[in-house]
Amino acid sequence: MLKPGSAKKVSIYVGEDHQYHGQSLYSAILDFLFYRGISGASVVRGIAGFGADHHMHTMRIERLTENLPIKIEFVESAAKVEELLPKLHQMAGTGLIDVQDTFVVKPSEESPKSAATGAAVALKREGKAKLMRILIGENDKWHDKPLYKALVEAMRANDVAGVTVYQGILGYGANRRIHKDGALHLSHDRPIMLSVVDEEAKLRAFAAILDEMVQQGLVVFSDVDVIKYTHEVPSAEKGAEKGKEAQK
Amino acid sequence: MKLEGKATMLRIHFGEDDKWHGKPLYQAIVEKCRELDIAGATVFRGIEGYGASTLIRKPHHLLSFSHDAPVMVSVIDSDEKVRKLIPQLDAMVADGLIAISEVEVVKYVHQDGARS
Repeated sequence: MLKPGSAKKVSIYVGEDHQYHGQSLYSAILDFLFYRGISGASVVRGIAGFGADHHMHTMRIERLTENLPIKIEFVESAAKVEELLPKLHQMAGTGLIDVQDTFVVKPSEESPKSAATGAAVALKREGKAKLMRILIGENDKWHDKPLYKALVEAMRANDVAGVTVYQGILGYGANRRIHKDGALHLSHDRPIMLSVVDEEAKLRAFAAILDEMVQQGLVVFSDVDVIKYTHEVPSAEKGAEKGKEAQK
Repeated sequence: MKLEGKATMLRIHFGEDDKWHGKPLYQAIVEKCRELDIAGATVFRGIEGYGASTLIRKPHHLLSFSHDAPVMVSVIDSDEKVRKLIPQLDAMVADGLIAISEVEVVKYVHQDGARS
């Protein structure tokens, strides 16, 4: 967070049409500043200007309206500016960057609403776990319902932490039949992958249930490191939450 | 075909528009896997991403008709078989990423003709 006192003001001058990896340069720079935690930045579009190549860019002549000058400006501490400059230097290409000493009289403040959401601190949990992947076909059935749906329901019922179902566009498996998402066929049998992360013991226990449900497919385990972010429910609300869970 | 215990998973990441001899690269890779008798291969299409070329790949970008979505091909077989595939992929994948990891096969079932 920016504090009152001495700071640096950085201005970057580029052209509106300049590109950076297939994206407009000024928005790429703005994204970079945003994700690197800069407290604020502005983009201003000029109405006329010229640069090192002495091409006049102006709004007054229709033909020259393209590539108007863009200025991206932000104020940050000297240390932060130092940290970001090498990347900005590389991104700016032919553009100009200038850094000035400045004095912050009053930093901008977060609006009260966003400050409140920030109060719910995400808890970070780390540890070893297993990743289970189940590869089946979209048309596989279990008791007349799609197998992937049945598996998700079975996992919920068995308290497995979470599962995601992915649909492939092409593939083949054990029976050598190509599963394909053909535009002209109405019958699809696309490959399906379910991906589950949980403790090894839980997944091993669930594997026994899988034996009964999966008639054809592949199940593989691999080791993963879990980094999980959860929101701690304040203790007062916890009781109420539990009550709700019970009602469900 | 039997597959059990330790196995190797190979994943190849590239773009949906990548071609190999005029056909989609992902299709060519699946065909190559079949040719080499690899147990199975699956192609997944992502909804957004970026990679080796750092171009943002967005399939459903507003008003844009370019559909270069990220694609991942996943292959699981014995280590020996998967390693046989790598030199072939080297020649086919020009711009992409190939990664391998170790997996443990818990179940592998197939019933011939059960779903023909």
